[in-house]
Amino acid sequence: MPASRLGRITGLCVLMFFGCVGAPALAAEPDAVAHFEREIRPLLVEHCQKCHGPKKQEAGLRLDSRAALLKGGEGGPAVVPGKADKGTLLAAVKHVGKIQMPPSGKLTAIQIAALGKWIADGAAWPEEKVSGRTGVITEADRKHWAFRPVSDPPVPAIRDAAWPQTDVDRFILARLEVAGVKPVAAADRRALIRRATFDLTGLPPTPQEIAQFLADDKPGAFEHVTERLLASKHYGERWGRHWLDVARYADTAGDGADYPVREAYKYRDWVIDAFNADRPYDEFLRDQIAGDLLARRGPPEKYAARVVATGFLAIGKRYGYSPGPDFQHLDFADAIDSVGRSLLGLSIGCARCHDHKYEPISAADYYGLYGIFASTKWSFPGGEEHKRPANLVSMLPAEETARRDKAKADGLARLDSEIARLKADRSALDGKGFGGGIDLGFEGQPLGKAPGKPWHAEGTNTVSADAQSPFAHLHPAGIRGVRLASGKATDGVRYVFENPLRATPKGTMHFAIDFRTVAPTDKKGAYRFYLGRGVIASLAVECSITATEFAVRSGAKWETIRKLEPGTWHTLQLAIDPAKKTYSGSVGKPGDLTAFAAKAVGPTWDGVIDTFICDATGHVAGAAPIRDLDNIALLTTPLPAIGDKPVTATPPTPDTKARLGKIDAAIAEAVKLRAAAAAAETYPLAYGVSEGIPTNARVQLRGEPERPGPEVPRRFLEILGGDPVPAESKGSGRLELAEWITRPTNPLTARVFVNRVWQWHFGRGLVATPSDFGIRGEAPSHPELLDHLATRFAKSGGSVKELHRLILRSRVYQLASAEDAVLLKADPENRLLGRFSRRPLDAESIRDAMLATSGRLDRATPGAHPFPDVNAWGFTIHAPFHAVYDSDHRSVYLMIQRNRRHPFLALFDAADPNQSVAERLPTTTPTQALHLMNSPFVHTQAEAFAKRLLALPGDDAARVRIAFEFAHGTSVDEAAVTDALAFLKAYRMKAAERGLKPEAQSLAALSALARVLLTSNAFLFID
Amino acid sequence: MTSDSASANRREFLRRASGGFGALALAGLCEELRAAEKRPADPLAARPGHFAAKADRVIFIFSTGGVSHVDTFDGKPKLIADHGKSITASRWLNKPGQFERFLIKPRWAFKPYGKSGRKVSDLFPHLGGVIDDVCVLNAMHCESDGHDKATLAAHTGSPQFARPSAGAWVSYGLGTVNKNLPSFMVLAPAAPYAGAQTWGSDFLPGCHQGTHVVPGKDPLPNVQPRALAPDLQQMELDLLGKLNRKHLGDRGADRALEARIRSFETAFGMQREAPEAFDFSKETDETLKLYGLERGASAGFDWQCLAARRLAERGVRFLELIDVGSSNNWDSHGNMADHEKLAKAIDRPIAGLLADLKRLGMLERTLVVWTTEFGRTPFNAQAGHPGREHHNLCFSSWMAGGGVKGGIAHGTSDEYGILPAEGKVHTHDLHATILHLLGIDHEKLTYRHAGRDYRLTDVAGEVVKPILV
Repeated sequence: MPASRLGRITGLCVLMFFGCVGAPALAAEPDAVAHFEREIRPLLVEHCQKCHGPKKQEAGLRLDSRAALLKGGEGGPAVVPGKADKGTLLAAVKHVGKIQMPPSGKLTAIQIAALGKWIADGAAWPEEKVSGRTGVITEADRKHWAFRPVSDPPVPAIRDAAWPQTDVDRFILARLEVAGVKPVAAADRRALIRRATFDLTGLPPTPQEIAQFLADDKPGAFEHVTERLLASKHYGERWGRHWLDVARYADTAGDGADYPVREAYKYRDWVIDAFNADRPYDEFLRDQIAGDLLARRGPPEKYAARVVATGFLAIGKRYGYSPGPDFQHLDFADAIDSVGRSLLGLSIGCARCHDHKYEPISAADYYGLYGIFASTKWSFPGGEEHKRPANLVSMLPAEETARRDKAKADGLARLDSEIARLKADRSALDGKGFGGGIDLGFEGQPLGKAPGKPWHAEGTNTVSADAQSPFAHLHPAGIRGVRLASGKATDGVRYVFENPLRATPKGTMHFAIDFRTVAPTDKKGAYRFYLGRGVIASLAVECSITATEFAVRSGAKWETIRKLEPGTWHTLQLAIDPAKKTYSGSVGKPGDLTAFAAKAVGPTWDGVIDTFICDATGHVAGAAPIRDLDNIALLTTPLPAIGDKPVTATPPTPDTKARLGKIDAAIAEAVKLRAAAAAAETYPLAYGVSEGIPTNARVQLRGEPERPGPEVPRRFLEILGGDPVPAESKGSGRLELAEWITRPTNPLTARVFVNRVWQWHFGRGLVATPSDFGIRGEAPSHPELLDHLATRFAKSGGSVKELHRLILRSRVYQLASAEDAVLLKADPENRLLGRFSRRPLDAESIRDAMLATSGRLDRATPGAHPFPDVNAWGFTIHAPFHAVYDSDHRSVYLMIQRNRRHPFLALFDAADPNQSVAERLPTTTPTQALHLMNSPFVHTQAEAFAKRLLALPGDDAARVRIAFEFAHGTSVDEAAVTDALAFLKAYRMKAAERGLKPEAQSLAALSALARVLLTSNAFLFID
Repeated sequence: MTSDSASANRREFLRRASGGFGALALAGLCEELRAAEKRPADPLAARPGHFAAKADRVIFIFSTGGVSHVDTFDGKPKLIADHGKSITASRWLNKPGQFERFLIKPRWAFKPYGKSGRKVSDLFPHLGGVIDDVCVLNAMHCESDGHDKATLAAHTGSPQFARPSAGAWVSYGLGTVNKNLPSFMVLAPAAPYAGAQTWGSDFLPGCHQGTHVVPGKDPLPNVQPRALAPDLQQMELDLLGKLNRKHLGDRGADRALEARIRSFETAFGMQREAPEAFDFSKETDETLKLYGLERGASAGFDWQCLAARRLAERGVRFLELIDVGSSNNWDSHGNMADHEKLAKAIDRPIAGLLADLKRLGMLERTLVVWTTEFGRTPFNAQAGHPGREHHNLCFSSWMAGGGVKGGIAHGTSDEYGILPAEGKVHTHDLHATILHLLGIDHEKLTYRHAGRDYRLTDVAGEVVKPILV
């Protein structure tokens, strides 16, 4: 059920389900009823029901039946019979509370009095037939055919005992005999092998395969063909694709930015492999719901595949922008809807906003399942806000995953320390080991300009001899400092230390700077020294200086330390103790130092210092004065006292450059190694689900998560048992859910699946609404046959291939698609299956058959899509991901995008992956014909087909015959050969008139013939 | 099928047909045969609605990004007067808490136009010139203030889940009169938010999905014959037709086979008709001038508007024009000045389209709708900020022609354009009204899917009666 608007229908059913059971209808007094009809009903109709009636239910309230009034809305019951002072209705019309109704204006005193009397007298309302569901499961619901246990009906008696080949045929014939019609004759062998080959593999039979079948006059020839096809790897590609329709498979997430899902293909390939391996259906389903949990039970070689299988849940359309729960209720809506429709044939999704209107599914059922999914951790594909995938699931067992995680972390740590060691070596060599080196004394900077790299400068900042500090205890006496002009608050200089200082338990950090305010000054504002990680990320220490005052920040407060004199150089030394989260220091000039201690570092400091900033903001507002800075240092060893000799590194030696070069190369190598190690796949990942924190969900009134209702325990649908997740369970409940869905007593799962298989073979299910077995769905045309198949399916252990054999062996599958006047009249829609329904090829089959016929089909399994590197992802709704990848692989392997569909697949009505697709709805449009006539794809295949034909020995007539065999699987009649030969001849002539050389003429003519064959109905339809 | 004799006649006919009847005769007889059948053979066959229609077709114009209502069609003198004043928005945002916001006056002046004297801002002077044909809706509102959700809501009625687009619903409901062109065409240089879902058919049959035309030299893919020459393509199609007729003759009538044969005939027609629709060489200079279109141009909103008129003339049922894609659009968070170039690109072409339709006598039966995701906030968190944020609680759209009163405004917003004051029109209501004008009861146009009957208007929607002629 869609969208929040639907939420308007009613929150009442939800409330009602949780125990607000309406009082029994009164046998109303005639007088009271008359009063109601005369005074009250017209009033309710005129003033209330427009907003609180069948069309709208403002505040979840309906005022159009007694039961609805008793139930009330979000504010509680609207009336309490006999108690005029209770209930929301009278208060609202009296305007006594916050809610004042009706909005168009207060009712008259007479009307209000009439309402009060009516309520006080018991709120009489003549009995009415209640339409719609009450939210309670009725006996009639339980008797609905699909909710009854699967039976094993006796094979019916039939008159024409010679006709059936299998029991399936007996069920079919019995109905035909009742209708008094006879089935058509069997299909000819060519039609049959073409039908079966497309049906089981999605590809056309080759001329050799046709010839073999035609030549095989032994009994069981067709069974032989069936077995060959079931054993082909192309079988899984075909039937896996059917399942991918149901599973709403796509390779992108379908959020606004349509993020690629790099791991999706693993689920796709798992599905294909599962069909090829004939995985028992119950196991197939259990793995898709709880494979990550079942994997722990072993065997180890199945672990990875089972984790991948949970892609079934994760692969749906996503709505969120980040891995958090922002739009998870919609992701869950998709998952619940898909599980309901694809596995159970129930539209559970309709109960998101209210109890289902037609089916015995309550909102509590919905939120019982919701809790299971909310207790599950979902892979996140990447999104607008968080542009990288998250929560992908390791395909290795937990211990091995942890071992590899640790090994990776250790490896990275080793490389990090190696890089740090190399950098330290380098720093020592080039003098940067000390406080960042000569650049913190500005001696490497050109005079008269703003300091360049590694400094950053904003505003007017000038390296100048005038700004040289007189002190030489940190850096040797130089000839430069930097002068900062009075500018904007954000103007100033910034230095990012190449080697950030990281807090260690005993490691005090030391900082120093020389500074003066240039005199005279009329600027009264402050400038500051900032130390921390990044520009604002993590503040450690902040000092603020005006022309006359020096202050430091201790936690959130500013504390003034001492007076300063403009024009005088001062020096500051700080010692930061990360363990105590405090700092101390001294500031002043030689002989006049003021010490301070135990000041608190920034409350959110993360222990890293890599940035120094001096800009023009601080503890006093206003423009900052012009100031000089020099001799900045940051190091882990104690600073020399003022007046000591400078301690900087020795001047560079002649071989310094060469040694630096070597270290630089070593650093570059180590950095590359680290990047590779960090990016390397630690273990293979799946886009699936894992266990989260077990939690029950609360009902979301009208489907809106911000309107929580009562909590519901995690449990299965009540109509299917209502089993709760056991109290002792420590998991999400998915394991239990997998069991509930696949247990043999579940009446739906097997029926739904055998019906799908029947539909995929015959074009229509025995139940024509394959994802809706509910009360609103269509009843089965052959209920006994459906149960017969479900029973046989269960007895075979859920073998899908056995089910195929059962169906393909039957005479009904092997009937001709011929027209029969009597049948047509009696059964125009062919529900009785007296003939085989001709079917158009689906999108994938058209493309694959063209590629197969042209000889260009790449039959290998291609694996992952060539998506852009994840490190480059920056997709947004403004610039969403979009790609179409060319490929000659089978169509099941094409990259399926949700928001921009693949042009070919969309044109030929392939499944729209935005939701579970039960059946393809093929259309025939001129734009398809244009594609067939003029597209580069068709022309490429036709030309390749022509070249394939030209390479064969023989003359044109032989080529024409084999061409028909390839393309249509038919043996062409002589008239058609004559036509084709005449066509080739005429075409060559016209091509010659256009100046084509003889060889080009032949290729052009045969290509044209190939196009005709590849686009004709004999190619595009299966008899 | 009505009787055995009809069936026998059909087989008899087909036997003769396969023996060399022309395709035209075949098509004619197939029509007759089909008429005798219960289900419509052709999902695109034109059919009447539930009641007499006021409009035969729709041109739906969508401006991507969210167009500010207070800078375009909903002039608010008080907003100008109180510019810079702070207000406390709490209930507007449907959230608890205090939100101090600063009123921002429109950047453009409003002037009265036409006999009606309806005021339009300087962003749309040309549209002002035809305002007497336009009905402005000034109390529009929708659910979502997110681009992709609001775009989906405006097109499909659902802000969240994939649903069929309005154009697909109309195609499903009414079919189309010209089989040589798709029933629902979208002329857009780039996809809006939510991509092709915007014009998808979702659970409706795929023939109803919008055909995306990208303005340029080759607007419809594969419409240009790839064969060496027309006569060679004709030879191919002749042989194809012969094979298909033989194939059909061997099998007895089958609607799907016939439909495929017909689709090639139509496609062949489209090869001619579609390029012709996009070939403006026979349009007069006067016409081109109406749209502001340069002769020979093959893109631009002016091109899209003229193409729309030509396609409308040729019977396309639902045309959608989208001006810009999901980037560099009307989403003027940073600076409302960006509205100027976007308005300039569409103002004259739209005015030209309305004027052209009118002088050709088509406007009466053509419903033109203009809308956008949502409006933009009349305020900003920062005083004097040059941009505006998303505002879905109240915005402007307009309709013209096809049974809608001109020169009026329906619905008003409050003094600042923050909330609707009266005459609220929800997206569902807009959809209901569009369907109504096409002769469709929006509550009756349903499609059974996934256990229930779906509608374009979900469970809501009321026809905006006061604006109907």
